[in-house]
Amino acid sequence: MEKVLETLNLSKSYGRIRAVKDLSLEVGPGHVYGILGPNGSGKTTTLSIITGIIAADSGSYRWFDREPRATMRKNIGSLIEVPNFYPYLDLVRNLVIVARIKDKPLDDIDRVLKLVNLWERRKSRFDTLSLGMKQRLALAAVLLGNPSVLVLDEPANGLDPEGIAEVREIILQERQNQKTIIIASHILDEVEKVCTHVAVLKNGEAIARGRVHELLAVDDPVIVSCGEADRLKEEIVRAGLSESIEKQGEKLVIILRKGKTAGDINQFAFSKGIVLDHLETRKKSLESQFLELIK
Amino acid sequence: MRSILLNEITKIWSYTAFRTIILLHFILFLLVVLVTSRLDITVPGFSTDYLYQFPNIWEFFPWVASWFNLLLAILIIVMTGNEYSFRTFRQHVVDGFSRSQLLSGKAFLMLMIGIYSLLMVLLFSMIFGFIFTSDYSGGAFIRKTYILLVYFVQAIAFMSAGFFLAVLFRNTALAIILFILYRLIIEPVMRLFFPPEARLYFPMKVIANLTPMPEFLSISSGKRPSGGGVDTLSFREMGLMAEDLPVLVNLMLAIGYTAIFITLAWWLLRKRNL
Repeated sequence: MEKVLETLNLSKSYGRIRAVKDLSLEVGPGHVYGILGPNGSGKTTTLSIITGIIAADSGSYRWFDREPRATMRKNIGSLIEVPNFYPYLDLVRNLVIVARIKDKPLDDIDRVLKLVNLWERRKSRFDTLSLGMKQRLALAAVLLGNPSVLVLDEPANGLDPEGIAEVREIILQERQNQKTIIIASHILDEVEKVCTHVAVLKNGEAIARGRVHELLAVDDPVIVSCGEADRLKEEIVRAGLSESIEKQGEKLVIILRKGKTAGDINQFAFSKGIVLDHLETRKKSLESQFLELIK
Repeated sequence: MRSILLNEITKIWSYTAFRTIILLHFILFLLVVLVTSRLDITVPGFSTDYLYQFPNIWEFFPWVASWFNLLLAILIIVMTGNEYSFRTFRQHVVDGFSRSQLLSGKAFLMLMIGIYSLLMVLLFSMIFGFIFTSDYSGGAFIRKTYILLVYFVQAIAFMSAGFFLAVLFRNTALAIILFILYRLIIEPVMRLFFPPEARLYFPMKVIANLTPMPEFLSISSGKRPSGGGVDTLSFREMGLMAEDLPVLVNLMLAIGYTAIFITLAWWLLRKRNL
C-alpha cells in the first residue's frame, strides 16, 4: 500500500537545541494523524520540514513513496503556524494568489469561502479580519482545489468555541471524503474526536505512536466491587494478574497486566468463589494518557 | 511562468506604497525635465535647448532618470521585504512554489519596473525631442538611442542590488538604510583607498557610470564632444571629470554585477530557512 508520508530519522537542531531527533513516522492513506506534544516538542518543526520551508539536518522524508518535490506540495493543503497573507489585499485576491501557485481553478475560491463562512467578507482586506476569521481564511486556502492531503498545525488556534466546532466539522467532513490529514494540536479532546492515529512527541522524539484506540487502551483501569474486596485483592496479586491494584472505598482499581482483560478478572473472581457486584473498564482520555506519557 | 507574473501584478496593483513610489518617480522625473526645459540661460553661445534636441536628449534624459533609480531599488526592497514580514515567501513554498520560482517572481517584477522606467524615458525623450529638434540631419533621431538600453540595464542592476540586500537582511528598513549608506558613503569612501583605475570597477561606480553626466559645455554650446579637437568643450578634456571605462566594458561589468547579485540572492533563498 502506498504511504502518503514517511519520515526516516528526521533530525533538526537550532544551535544547541535539538528540535527534532531521529523522528520516524508513517502516515497511510485515509489516516487522520495527530501529532501531539507540549510546546517546544518539535511539532511545528516537523511539519515545517515536511512542507519544505526548513531543511532537516539529517534523515529524509517521502511523500507518496517519492522524493519530495515542490510540485507535490500543490496537492497538499498546508497551514503551518499562523495564516500568512497580504494584509492589503482582499480575501478573494489573496486566494487568487494561492490558487495560481497551486495551479487550481479560480472558480473554486467561492466554494471554499462559503465553506468557511467568509463569503460575505470576500471583499474585505485581510488586515481587517479577526484572528478567528484569519484562521478560517487559512483553512479556505488549505482546501482550495480539493487536495488529497491536509497538513494542519494548530488549526483551531485563535478560534472561539463555535469556530473550533466548525473546524472540527470541516476536518470530519474531509475525513469522510477519505482525505489524509496530519494535524498538530494542543486541544487533545479535539484530536481524540477526529484522529485515527497519533504520535506523541517530547523533546523532539516520538515517545508513543499508533492508533488512537490502541494508545488509549493501554493501562485502562478496571473497577470492581464485591463483598470480599480484600480477599479478591490478595488473590489477584498472588495470581499476578495486575500491574497495580488499589482499594478505593469499597472498590478495587486494577491496572491489568498486558494481555489481560476485564473478562479475565470476572472469570478469575468466579473461580475463587467471589461474586462481583460491579465491573467496569474506565476509558482513559487522550489527555490523561498524554499527560502520563510526557511526565 | 504566467501565474508567477500574474501574481506579481496582483501584489503590486492594490499596494498603495507601490503606486505612491512609482508616481513619485514619474513626477520627479517629469518635474526635473520640465523645469530644466524652462531654464533661460542668457550666456551668449550657450542654450539648454540643445540638451532637448536629438540625439543629445537620448543622453540627457537617461542621465536625469538615473538620479531616481534609488527609488526603483527601494521599491524592490519594499516588495521583497514584504514577502518576509508577511511570511508570504514561506507560504508560497508551502503552497508549492520552489525557491527558484520565488526568485523568478521578483525577477519579473524588476523587469516590469525596468520596462516602465524605460518607456517613461522613451516617451518623454520623444515628446521633448520632437518639440525642440528642428535639424534631423545625420541620423540625429536614432543616434545615441542605445543609451536607452544602457539605462535599462542600469535600472535592473540597481534593483538587483536592492533585491540582494532585501534577501540578505530580510528586513525592509535595514536593507534600505544599508543600500543608501553603501551607495552614498561606504563605497565612495572605500574607493578612496584604491588607485584611480581600480575605483572604476566598484559595483555602484560601474552601474552609475552607465549613464555618465552629459558633456553639458559642449552640448549646450551646440558643439558635440569628439574626443579631441580644438572646437570641443569637454569637462573630461578640461580635467574636471575622471575618465570612464568604455561603455561596452562598463555594460558587461554591470551585467556581471547584476548576475552576481541575483545569484547570491538565489543562493541565500536556497540555503536559508524561510
